[in-house]
Amino acid sequence: MAMGSTLASADALSARMTAPSRAVALGAVLLAVACVLGLIEASLPALPVAPWLRLGLANIAVVVALAVGGLRTAAAVSIGRVAIVALATGTLLSPAFAMSAAGAVAALLAMAAAKSSGPRLSLVGWSAAGSVAHVLGQFAAAALVLGTGSVLVLAPPSALLALVFGVVVGSLARVAVSRIPQG
Amino acid sequence: MTRGDRLLIVALAVACLLAWPIAAAARTSGESVEVSGPAGVTVVSLSEDRVLRVTGRTGELTVVVERGAVRVLEADCPDHVCVKTGAISASGSVVACVPNGVVIRVGGGDGDGLDARIR
Repeated sequence: MAMGSTLASADALSARMTAPSRAVALGAVLLAVACVLGLIEASLPALPVAPWLRLGLANIAVVVALAVGGLRTAAAVSIGRVAIVALATGTLLSPAFAMSAAGAVAALLAMAAAKSSGPRLSLVGWSAAGSVAHVLGQFAAAALVLGTGSVLVLAPPSALLALVFGVVVGSLARVAVSRIPQG
Repeated sequence: MTRGDRLLIVALAVACLLAWPIAAAARTSGESVEVSGPAGVTVVSLSEDRVLRVTGRTGELTVVVERGAVRVLEADCPDHVCVKTGAISASGSVVACVPNGVVIRVGGGDGDGLDARIR
């Protein structure tokens, strides 16, 4: 499916989603999807080469939310998922939570910037920017929590891997948006 | 993927590659291990096999120095990323347990992983 038409269909959906009840319903569904994807991914084995990295499948829902619902919906899905998973796993207000939250906020800012740059970038570009920002945000938080910058040596290779994952997530989000019925 | 996407991805990839320390290719074996955590900092030699018990924020870690490399054998943390990271021996490489606030860094050797040290 051509790139332009995916963004166009997302815009058309977006226009229909302006009714507050629809926006809330959309956000709720995507938040649930994000939580489920996050839980599924947590049960997958870690990458041997970089066990601190995750695929970030839950972010498919965040990117879809950004495309169809806008930044506020995407933020609700992203932050909401981080908070719910932290509550469920008992890690709220822990260093791991600080890293997740920092990564999520950094990713949202990067994706919002990517989206606002216009039609030059598609969901894949937004997701690529968001993924790299996510990992860098997590490393920044980790360095602060640990009180040392020595972990930052792991950041460049991690960011490169995250870039690849971001392209995958963005592509899957693009497929998801194209399959949302228009009628 | 649009052309803009491709450009962005390439730019990000190049930025990552540039940030990757060039010393990584010429990495030398380290000589010492620095273990820092909430309980303090310990520096030991990599050439002597030993087992260290490190107290972290959420529990204890068992750090093993063996055959010139260091790794976390066991740790009291939710995800065990530190254990899964495996053994490190190259100067400048790091294993961290964020929930416990413990960082294990290999130093020494020709590079020490640092570009300069101000005394």
